[in-house]
Amino acid sequence: MIPREVVVVAEHMAGELTDVTLEMLACAYELARSVGWRVTCLILASDPKPFQALPLAADKVVVVTDPGLGSPNPAAYARVLPHVLKDLSARLVILGNTSMGIDLAGPLSHDLGAPAISGCVGLRAEGDRIVATSRLCGGKLVAHIEPQGGLAIALLMPGSFHKELGMRDDVPPMEVRPSPETLESLPVHFVELIEPKMEDVDVTRVDVLIAAGRGVQSKENLAPLEALAKELGGAVCATRPVVDQGWLPRTRQVGRSGMTVKPRLYLALGVSGAPEHTEGMRASGLIVAVNKDPEAPIFDVAHYGATVDLLELVPILTEKIKEAKGRQ
Amino acid sequence: MKIAVVLRQVPDVVEELVIADDGRSLAEGEVMCITNEADEHALEEALILKSRQGGKVTAVAAGGDEAKDALATAVAKGADEAILVAVPFEHRGDNVRLASVLGPAMKSAGYDLILTGVWAADQMDAGLAGLLAVHLSLPYVGGVMSVSLEPSGAKGLVRKEFPGGRLGVMEVSLPAVLGIQSAEQPPRYVPVSKVMQAKRTLQVREQAEPSPVVQGIRASKLIKSGSAAKAEMLPGDAKQVAEQIVRILRERGIA
Repeated sequence: MIPREVVVVAEHMAGELTDVTLEMLACAYELARSVGWRVTCLILASDPKPFQALPLAADKVVVVTDPGLGSPNPAAYARVLPHVLKDLSARLVILGNTSMGIDLAGPLSHDLGAPAISGCVGLRAEGDRIVATSRLCGGKLVAHIEPQGGLAIALLMPGSFHKELGMRDDVPPMEVRPSPETLESLPVHFVELIEPKMEDVDVTRVDVLIAAGRGVQSKENLAPLEALAKELGGAVCATRPVVDQGWLPRTRQVGRSGMTVKPRLYLALGVSGAPEHTEGMRASGLIVAVNKDPEAPIFDVAHYGATVDLLELVPILTEKIKEAKGRQ
Repeated sequence: MKIAVVLRQVPDVVEELVIADDGRSLAEGEVMCITNEADEHALEEALILKSRQGGKVTAVAAGGDEAKDALATAVAKGADEAILVAVPFEHRGDNVRLASVLGPAMKSAGYDLILTGVWAADQMDAGLAGLLAVHLSLPYVGGVMSVSLEPSGAKGLVRKEFPGGRLGVMEVSLPAVLGIQSAEQPPRYVPVSKVMQAKRTLQVREQAEPSPVVQGIRASKLIKSGSAAKAEMLPGDAKQVAEQIVRILRERGIA
């Protein structure tokens, strides 16, 4: 018989399940309920206590414990997971399309002989088949993928499901088991976690964000954006390529590995809208996007869009806002 | 210190992406290819390590003819050796296949470090770096932002990116495979004249695909995402757009 177990590999930080974990549960629960499968939430941790009595959208919670699982070390997870997943007879394993999940995908895919699908924004089951919807090429393309074989691994893009649906009213039964593998001789050791230093601007606490994307073209071109941000009482944030160029500090980066922001206004300038970026800003109150490429995926998440030249627009917009304020 | 860097040729997502008649792949003749951005960062990190510790950097390009340009650029930037692995266009995004092709050749070369980008623009499966690591039975860390090596060359300290701007410091035994997210500094610029010069004198070692190769996943259907599906587009020139934005902001009490 084909196994019908969907296993969500939980991620946690400081004893709390992360948002993407709840989103993965929401995805798994919806899929499992449509075809009568079951959901297991698999948590790897040094201590099961913080995860007790959580009303998670799962039929069962399994916590695998070992002192070596106290830190987010993918090498430790990669050693434990193949054994546990085989034992749970998983049909579908859901990982986050995150720093942790991306590191696990290769080793797990190899060790379990299972295809891994990255960038998933949707997963559904049709009979015994699984169909994944995955975004690639900066979000410009969507691929439908039907993995072959008995077990598949899907990496779910953060922000693809509502985290609220990852919680239910009831607390599922929890089982705690020791790690089946010793974690003493790992080739990768977790030394420490460095928290970001907010010596600059904390973009998570600003009401208005002017986001600079690759379309800004140069560091010099950031000056008019700064002027616009000042006029609106906000700050300039950026996508990864802009930060990688060293034009703005890393604390201003919005997206998967940067900050998650929710300002009243997010004005995206020259931002293409790659999923890695939009997952950090899609909950903003009002999103206005300016990009010369009418096919840019940022227009999928924006409320208003325009395809004019941002370098021409910004000084005019700054002046118009000044004028409007003067009229008040 | 022997460092290898894998440079993949991927579709330039800034350009128009044309879907082939089969409805499940990109049209080869109509897609511009560039070196994968994260791989450019991997090369930069390798060159930074070479300048700090000494050693030799081998650039391994996977792709078609344009991969030779990527190799010339890598040599112009400071790579010491160039290897070309010809990979047919339709298989470029298949990291399982790529790892099975690159793995055997890299195993015998005795690299201390193998760097490549942690992601690729056309990726649908697990990342190449992690797959290569398991092929080579080497330790692996991805999402790497910086690397420092012990003078003995036995271990490295890497900084791995985590959500919320956090960085995890990890100690990794060498040899190892690292999936680079960003180099410690932006990829260096090299003048076209230097690339042209490198191209003229470039010694490329070509490596054939072993047989049989392992296949990974393929899309059953590829479509363009529904752009402009949600946003209300503001018409007019820059001045008219600015006026409309101001009106929207004022209606919401933002300006």
